[in-house]
Amino acid sequence: MKQIYCIIERCMGCRACELACAAEHSQSKNLMEAVREEAIPKHRVHIEVVGDNGELRRVQAIAIQCRQCEEPACAQACISGGIRVDEVSHCVGVDPAKCVGCWSCIMVCPYGAVVKDEENHRALKCDRCPDREIPACVASCITHALVYCEPDELEKELT
Amino acid sequence: MNIVIIGNSAAGCAAVEIIRKHDPQSSITQLSEETHPLYSRCLLSYYIAGSINKDTLLYREPGFHRKMNVDLYTGPQYRVVSVNPNDRTVTCENKEVFHYDKLLIAAGASAKLPPHIPKDIDGVFVLRTIDDVERILARIPHVKQAVVQGGGLIGMKAATALAQRGIKTTVAIRSDRVLSQMIDFDASLIISRQLRENGIDVLFNTDIVEVMSQENVITGIKTDIGDVLPCDLLIIAKGVAPNTRLIDNTGITVRQGIVTDSHMQTDNEFVFAAGDVAETFDIAIEEHTINALWTCAVQQGRIAGLNMVGIPTHYDGTIGMNSLNICGISLISFGITSLSPEEESKYKIVSRLVPQSKLYKKIVISPENRVKGIILLGRIENAGVLLSLIQRKIDVSQFIDELTDDRFNFGKILKYGGKAELNRYYNQSDEK
Repeated sequence: MKQIYCIIERCMGCRACELACAAEHSQSKNLMEAVREEAIPKHRVHIEVVGDNGELRRVQAIAIQCRQCEEPACAQACISGGIRVDEVSHCVGVDPAKCVGCWSCIMVCPYGAVVKDEENHRALKCDRCPDREIPACVASCITHALVYCEPDELEKELT
Repeated sequence: MNIVIIGNSAAGCAAVEIIRKHDPQSSITQLSEETHPLYSRCLLSYYIAGSINKDTLLYREPGFHRKMNVDLYTGPQYRVVSVNPNDRTVTCENKEVFHYDKLLIAAGASAKLPPHIPKDIDGVFVLRTIDDVERILARIPHVKQAVVQGGGLIGMKAATALAQRGIKTTVAIRSDRVLSQMIDFDASLIISRQLRENGIDVLFNTDIVEVMSQENVITGIKTDIGDVLPCDLLIIAKGVAPNTRLIDNTGITVRQGIVTDSHMQTDNEFVFAAGDVAETFDIAIEEHTINALWTCAVQQGRIAGLNMVGIPTHYDGTIGMNSLNICGISLISFGITSLSPEEESKYKIVSRLVPQSKLYKKIVISPENRVKGIILLGRIENAGVLLSLIQRKIDVSQFIDELTDDRFNFGKILKYGGKAELNRYYNQSDEK
């Protein structure tokens, strides 16, 4: 299964991925229209600061999104049975009708990839953009820090 | 192979799913004294509060057992009364006998009821099953004031649920703090303030010595200092006791619970145990104990299931972990959060306390620089990243000061873990 990787030497934390993710998960799927939508579009990828790399004005960051674990800790921890691995896409999904916002998933995700949707009191996580071939965050990444490939293809991407 | 599973909750379900993933052939028989379809106990307080409906309690879709090809027998007549290791059978209440090649005991636990509390008085309840909750809900229209005995997880969930219903609620707690198994005194101060600000009265150092009633209906309780609190509902939340009686006289070792090894196997090679009934190694305290928690039960059920179908799988152990919302404040805790005075001199503690913002973070670190316990109150983001420090026994000496920072994140593990962590991140497509 393809994976989204963030090559941290290349990520400068510009947050273009966050914008693209929010836009992709808006009603219009268009950033310019999305900002005017009543329900504020929310991003499921988020930038975390790793540190500075010693160079002036250069932040080292990482884009965190769900890694779609085969045996996900979040699904095992979910008390409502609302987090399941999709049998077709193999993606880990949150059923908003079942989620009660207990944050057990946040309690156990080793990547910190599940976030709160405070407005709806539901867990929010990456769904790998089911309507797109390449996830929006990867497509938007101007420094090519985000790559989407099979694990054995990563070596090629890194060089 | 004949697999028999006693119990139809978290551990039993997790075992069924993992067994079927690897073994479509074996016959699976599941026995449960509860007649309800597989539901989540953890959601019962949400149902009391009225924030979810009964259907949402279902943990798996209807037809789950059929889909998994499990022969499910439910009802009080299928309560297992004895396990007979000599002929590898279990005997039910109705004398029906089931033969097993491998047995999983996931019989759970029962709510403790102090001996001096009469349970046959209308208005006195425990909170463990759907049936308990249905009885509580039937009583609620007649309830103006309620008392919850016990300041643990279930006590807190019960009290906040009743308050959400608009019922004037008092929590009577024997110790000097709330959630004494989960958090320390400072965190307890913030939580109890939050409870009081939301109309829930909290009485510390208070025990209930007598239940008062009229025509067998509760009218109030008397505390050990002689105070009388009128109430129309009493929920007893004094913890749970594992249902181990079914293995009396089998020779299988029971201490706090049924003792299991790192394969969730008991000292009988054909018998496994998981969930609230099982005693396992605890990674944080480094001793065997029971962590009667949903998440732990699911993990243990999986490990047991894998080993039962012949896939040897090691279980590192449990960690006490809880996630709780108390009147709008999020709280997550792991492992050891309070230390005895002698431990305190050996352990390092980093903490950040902002009482006015109801924010508190505390990390307990062993002399070997391993994280042993965590409290996150108010801000819980990246809790799982911190948990992985305990689980993976990562040396945190390089970044101790960053641990209570709200910006502590997975990237820090990559940064401080160097090449090894980066390789782990790049080469491993999934976390097992």
